[in-house]
Amino acid sequence: MKIAKFLLILVYVYFLSPQSLIADDAKMIKGLEIFNETAGCAGCHVLKAAGSEGNVGPNLDTVDLTIESVVEMVTYGLGVMPAYGEEEILTKEEIEIVSYFVANTAGK
Amino acid sequence: MNKKKQKLNLNRRNFLTGTASLAGIAATASVVPISIVNANHTEGSKGLPEFISWKDRDALIVHSDKGIETHRSAIGESLITPNRNVYIRNNMPTMTDYQIGNKNNWKVSIQGVKNPKTFTLGQLKKLGHTTMATILQCSGNGRGFFEHKVRGSQWKTGAAACVLWTGVPLMKVVEACGGINGDAVFMTSAGVDHEPTGLDPKKAMVERSVPKKVYQDAMLAWEMNGVPLPNAHGGPLRMVTPGYFGINNVKHLGKVAFTTEESSVKYMKTSYRISPIGKKGPQYPSCWEMPVKSWITRPTDETGTVKAGKVQIVGVAMGGTRKVRSVKVSVDGGKSWKRAKFVGPDLGKYAWRQFVLETTLASGTYNIASLASNGPDKQPELRMENRRGYAHNGWKDHSVNITVV
Repeated sequence: MKIAKFLLILVYVYFLSPQSLIADDAKMIKGLEIFNETAGCAGCHVLKAAGSEGNVGPNLDTVDLTIESVVEMVTYGLGVMPAYGEEEILTKEEIEIVSYFVANTAGK
Repeated sequence: MNKKKQKLNLNRRNFLTGTASLAGIAATASVVPISIVNANHTEGSKGLPEFISWKDRDALIVHSDKGIETHRSAIGESLITPNRNVYIRNNMPTMTDYQIGNKNNWKVSIQGVKNPKTFTLGQLKKLGHTTMATILQCSGNGRGFFEHKVRGSQWKTGAAACVLWTGVPLMKVVEACGGINGDAVFMTSAGVDHEPTGLDPKKAMVERSVPKKVYQDAMLAWEMNGVPLPNAHGGPLRMVTPGYFGINNVKHLGKVAFTTEESSVKYMKTSYRISPIGKKGPQYPSCWEMPVKSWITRPTDETGTVKAGKVQIVGVAMGGTRKVRSVKVSVDGGKSWKRAKFVGPDLGKYAWRQFVLETTLASGTYNIASLASNGPDKQPELRMENRRGYAHNGWKDHSVNITVV
């Protein structure tokens, strides 16, 4: 009975917890690094989780984003934002990682 | 990098405690030095960015702190959209009072004329004075109706406003400079709001070329709806290009040049091009003239259920660069149409007209649409599919579903 209850709680925590609970640590660390240094996203965006205060692009603390939408934006750019994928500034893997980081921290 | 990771000390426990911890960790982390202006973008008390904390939060849909839309029902039932309800779409950070300094000393240079000159705002005010109503509309207004994945704010109808501008006709300024050089083809306007960012002007400067003929009706505006042009809308001086999409109405204006070539900056060369889905490039048309368009503002799904009986169906209609001639309204999804009546003052071909159709509706659900014509052109039923979701004027997507009880 106790095991059943434990499993129920586990299932509950897994499905109903914020996405950050199941975030992959290594990806988040690497994503933060890309955000702040490799790609320099911090220079243009506010994101509390990165400690950044740039004011060119949207304040990422004010928007809810999916990983897919961030990947799209980072790959193809918009306005003054470079097309990090098309212009090969970041690798596909780097884009996926930084997008994972942003989607897990933006709008929180 | 290793040093950074040590400093961050990120481990599962940090992440399990959620983003509040992340923020705290990051606050102590070494991040890239940031020299970008950040004085005016913090969140204000009403859930709006500080630089527009004077706006009416209830009238606005906040897509981000840089993209803020007016509710369909809040564009202004008395023709002019109040400043507190006007949408926000800025490519560069809004300049601060500190960056702008004494507004009367704001400078704009006029080039590509017989006698190039630089005028202060104070000097411009002595050259001429007029007031004109125009529609300010983001090129992507209606993007939210496109079904392919379009990057950018998902505007529906509210990236548009009808505004009274006060300033000097550009013709007067050109006259004061001895006229335009003979070989000019374009009027090219440039903002200076990229300068505080330190970013590469080729990528960040909002410099837009439009056909030279636009100068005949254009103006340099310092007032918006009777008050000094707010910084958030490009104050203290803005180009107004009547009938042309918002991006051409350059904010924080620093230069007007009559040129033989289009500007080569990114915002002209590759951005704001209406290209097929999957294609892009400077060979495609730029977002210049706005097409004929209309939409219902009341009743809508925002205004709740409608009481059966007599109903006033109200909306706005614009002709683009021509005067809007007629509007028809359908309450059955476009199967049949009735001509609506224009009401309120006619503020010229560049302003929108309010229209109303009085009708009687019984209980049920209705799809209400409007269809405007400027004579040669009328709204198409469907949107023109394009990569970035620009220039949408199809009537079907802009229709509204209402419930009458």
